[in-house]
Amino acid sequence: MKNAKRKTLLWMLILFGFIIYFPGRMLARHHVNYKTAVTDHPLKCTSCHVYTSKNKFVTSLINEDYYSPFNIAVSHDGSRLYVVAQDTDELLIVDTESNSVLHQIKVGVHPHSVILNKANTLAYVSNQWSDNISVIDLAVSKVTDTIKTGNGPSGLTISADGSYLQVVNTYGSDLSVIDLSTKEELKRLRTGSDPTGTALSPDGERLYVTSRRSKIVPYGEPLVSDLTEINGTTLRVSEHHNIEEAYMMENIAFTPSGDLAMMTLIRPKNLIPSVQVEGGWMMTHGIGVIEQGANGRIIQLLTDEPNSYYSDPFDIVVSPDGKRAYVSNSGADRVTVISVDSIRAILKETPKEKLKNIANNLGVSSRFVIKRVPTGANPKGLALSEDGKKLYIAEQLEDKIGVLDTESLQMEAPIDLGGPSRITVARQGRRLFNNAGHTFQKQYACYTCHPDHHEDGLVYNMAGKDMGRNVTNTQSLREIGDTPPFKWNGKNQTIYKQDGMRFSTVLTRTEQFSYDDLDAITAYIKRGIKYPPNLMYNPHGKLTESQLRGKEIYNRTKDNFGNVIPENNRCYTCHPAPLYSNLKAADVSTLAVTDDSILFDTPHLGNIYASPPYLHDGRAATLEEIWTVYGEDNKHGFVNDLTKMQLNDLIDYLKSLGGPEQEENSTQIQETASF
Amino acid sequence: MKIHLKYPTLLVLFVMLVISSWGFVQPKERTESIKDTSKTYGDKNRTASEKPMPIYGNWISYDSKNGLPGDKAYCVKIDGDRVLVGTHEGLAVLENGNWKTYTTEDGLAHNGILAIDVDPLTGDVWLGTMGGLSRWSTGKFENYTQMNSGMPNDLIYAVTCDGKDVWVATGGGAGCYNTYTRKWEIFTEENAPMHEPWTYGVCASNDKIYIAAWGGGIIEYTKKTKKFRDYVDPDGNMEIDLFPDDGVVHDITTGASWSNGILWVATYFGLSRYDGVHWKGYFDHDSGLASNFINYIKAKDDIAFICTDQGLSTTDGENWITYTTNENSKNGKTILLNGADKKELATSPSLAHNFTIGVDVEGDRIWVATSKGVSRGQLMK
Repeated sequence: MKNAKRKTLLWMLILFGFIIYFPGRMLARHHVNYKTAVTDHPLKCTSCHVYTSKNKFVTSLINEDYYSPFNIAVSHDGSRLYVVAQDTDELLIVDTESNSVLHQIKVGVHPHSVILNKANTLAYVSNQWSDNISVIDLAVSKVTDTIKTGNGPSGLTISADGSYLQVVNTYGSDLSVIDLSTKEELKRLRTGSDPTGTALSPDGERLYVTSRRSKIVPYGEPLVSDLTEINGTTLRVSEHHNIEEAYMMENIAFTPSGDLAMMTLIRPKNLIPSVQVEGGWMMTHGIGVIEQGANGRIIQLLTDEPNSYYSDPFDIVVSPDGKRAYVSNSGADRVTVISVDSIRAILKETPKEKLKNIANNLGVSSRFVIKRVPTGANPKGLALSEDGKKLYIAEQLEDKIGVLDTESLQMEAPIDLGGPSRITVARQGRRLFNNAGHTFQKQYACYTCHPDHHEDGLVYNMAGKDMGRNVTNTQSLREIGDTPPFKWNGKNQTIYKQDGMRFSTVLTRTEQFSYDDLDAITAYIKRGIKYPPNLMYNPHGKLTESQLRGKEIYNRTKDNFGNVIPENNRCYTCHPAPLYSNLKAADVSTLAVTDDSILFDTPHLGNIYASPPYLHDGRAATLEEIWTVYGEDNKHGFVNDLTKMQLNDLIDYLKSLGGPEQEENSTQIQETASF
Repeated sequence: MKIHLKYPTLLVLFVMLVISSWGFVQPKERTESIKDTSKTYGDKNRTASEKPMPIYGNWISYDSKNGLPGDKAYCVKIDGDRVLVGTHEGLAVLENGNWKTYTTEDGLAHNGILAIDVDPLTGDVWLGTMGGLSRWSTGKFENYTQMNSGMPNDLIYAVTCDGKDVWVATGGGAGCYNTYTRKWEIFTEENAPMHEPWTYGVCASNDKIYIAAWGGGIIEYTKKTKKFRDYVDPDGNMEIDLFPDDGVVHDITTGASWSNGILWVATYFGLSRYDGVHWKGYFDHDSGLASNFINYIKAKDDIAFICTDQGLSTTDGENWITYTTNENSKNGKTILLNGADKKELATSPSLAHNFTIGVDVEGDRIWVATSKGVSRGQLMK
């Protein structure tokens, strides 16, 4: 009897299981199909519900704390490496004899670069997310001072006499000159947009600062980026060189004799339809060579090859004999070894009128590239030992320092920094994000158009076959996880769709990611990309008087004359906190004649200050222009009653906005604004 | 005993007024950056009469015939070895003996340039034009307008660089641009004690900004506290100075310049000098001032250079030198006034025109912008 009962219970359970399983599976299939926009994605609940979880316990289990080495300096005697560990906010001191980490020194937030003083007694580390420099006494391996800088400090140089530390401020787009005797900022010089790289000429007379973003130019005109030249004696800007049709000039180096300076760069073809990628030559990568002396020519040479590209050139160093240059190709996991003498020969032989054309020549690299050396994942900063025999490579996503024997051009055993050995799903996603291997002929990585996981400030003719139709302004990927749908037209309901089927069809023109890789890159984009703190406009989480007044305007329901503003024309209706987007499509009267007739997805406004140009096609160079030039009909919010002061307050408030995290952590209490 | 007063409330108010007024006249409350130097100058042991006024001569003029893009010069600035002249037709630059003109075709915001200042730290040139503010750095222009930035108004009458800030006086209020944060602050009658937003001049001292506001006298802005106060004509908007030396001579101010602890204020009805405690007024009928109609003022060390519609006057507060020209012959006069002692020297040639609009002085050179060109004078020994 007991057995009969048990059997009945068992059968009932099985029946129940079947009832649950089949309709449940059908529902799950339907759900996954919708989310991924394909019909064969495995029904793995973990893909979305674990890897992209926001639960702190879950994230602590599935993630690891990697060092992510970013830049390196080497001591004079070659016995020590000073490694910037960007993700752990540390400077690691590495013994090159034992290949072991001797000290881990906590510095500021998100450190970027390190430089040593002449005597090798002090190290200066730029902390990009805390707007300061950590001064480290190398005798005791401790931070002994902190120097305030501009916004987003990155590249560093020390003046020839050792008196000044010159700090490139990436987010502020300027250069702080720090008097090292007082440790005070002496002045700030304007540079190009989003600069990082800097180099001082061997005679100390000339300082270059490279920019990464182009100046804002109307769609249809070729991009142009700024190379800032500063007089090393007067510490004044002596020239803003226009570098045409190139951007992402990450780093720059002089030859020891000072006859050339060389910088990394990318030449994007954003004016042609992006389907061109299958024809090659969509994004090209190379170097800019700045001839010193009387000629002063600046030429661009591609380091790519006709059917193989070496994306995202990052750092460049020149050997002590001035004969070789080494370029890290972050998106190709390679170091490109260049013959500088061959470049000198090209400069000598090529007539002036041909120098411009040579910039698009994919074959010219065969004349000066000596070798492509495979490295670990995502090589970033490079440093040569003083004798030039060893090249150290910060393999950011390998958590190792690659070591290249420059005589044999063979990689030696890397220096393991002791990070986690496990590659998490998100880490794999980050590697994919930064690697061009999945794009046709490896032309570009996600990172190429989304440097720092943000956006490159360019407007692209995305996916269209018609030249100049439906052009779109690149959008930031920072903290977009909870802001579906995606694309300006809102057609992609999930990142799975955006990076899966659509990605391969439109952007990479290759086979789409494997589903495991798609899980990984989705997990990374959805949860792994954070906003830098908004230290320029909201450093303490407390709004200024002007921002408070702006917030009142943002949340107002009546205009200056007491008339009720229709609900759909109030700022907060479409851009409600904490995401500052209602995730719906809207018509804000910005449709261009070259656009298909669509509504536009409402973008979030987090860190909006860092994303010029504005509107879907980038027509507004500044936030002001959204309303002063393109808001005449009051359809993009009711604003035409505002005085200039009120508009300034509103924009000041908009610039203060960060992501949801800032909104949650903000301790500011809404005060009554005084007009 | 009860004291009965006829107007007790008035008495209380009067007493309170007296008591509260003490606070304003206590020496400790005085503006520390402005010294009482009404009688002494730079070197405190010497009086004005002991320190000779600089006399300029050997005038050379330039107009559309010999270098400028047009005759009307609004402003001039000496920048090291070069001279920048703002004209109605663009920016004219004299460098190595050659003039070169920059216009909107080169990227300038507007050809009519009304004001020029140079950032002493960065060397950037800031140009206030009739159509926006241009930053000129290494030959390239970057323009700020009321449409693309938070700048108050495109009509810019004055520009002053002050550390990381660039101040402008515009037709729509004064503006302060923080070159570090790229943010504009606007000051108008809505948030400052101005009569209306029209501002004509702006200058900086160590700790204050002075704005010449049309109809509003002088607006003083303390950088540290971000507070304003105004100095208006105690006589109201009367065209005569009813009570001498009681304040700024008129509310319609056209410029201000600060140097060595003295604030000089230009109006269309005379000149004012303020040492932080005392105001002193100067008029064409009681001083060596060429005319009460003052277009522009520039103070350098202890001397004020005053551009009027009747010539250029210079003064240290006691002594005067005025430069005028015969507009037909180009010969002119240099008139020296020391107390009651007046001398006239013939000058040939003299200034390009009597309607002087801008001036700058550096070392032994003076440059004067006039409505008929720009003139360069040399310090006479």
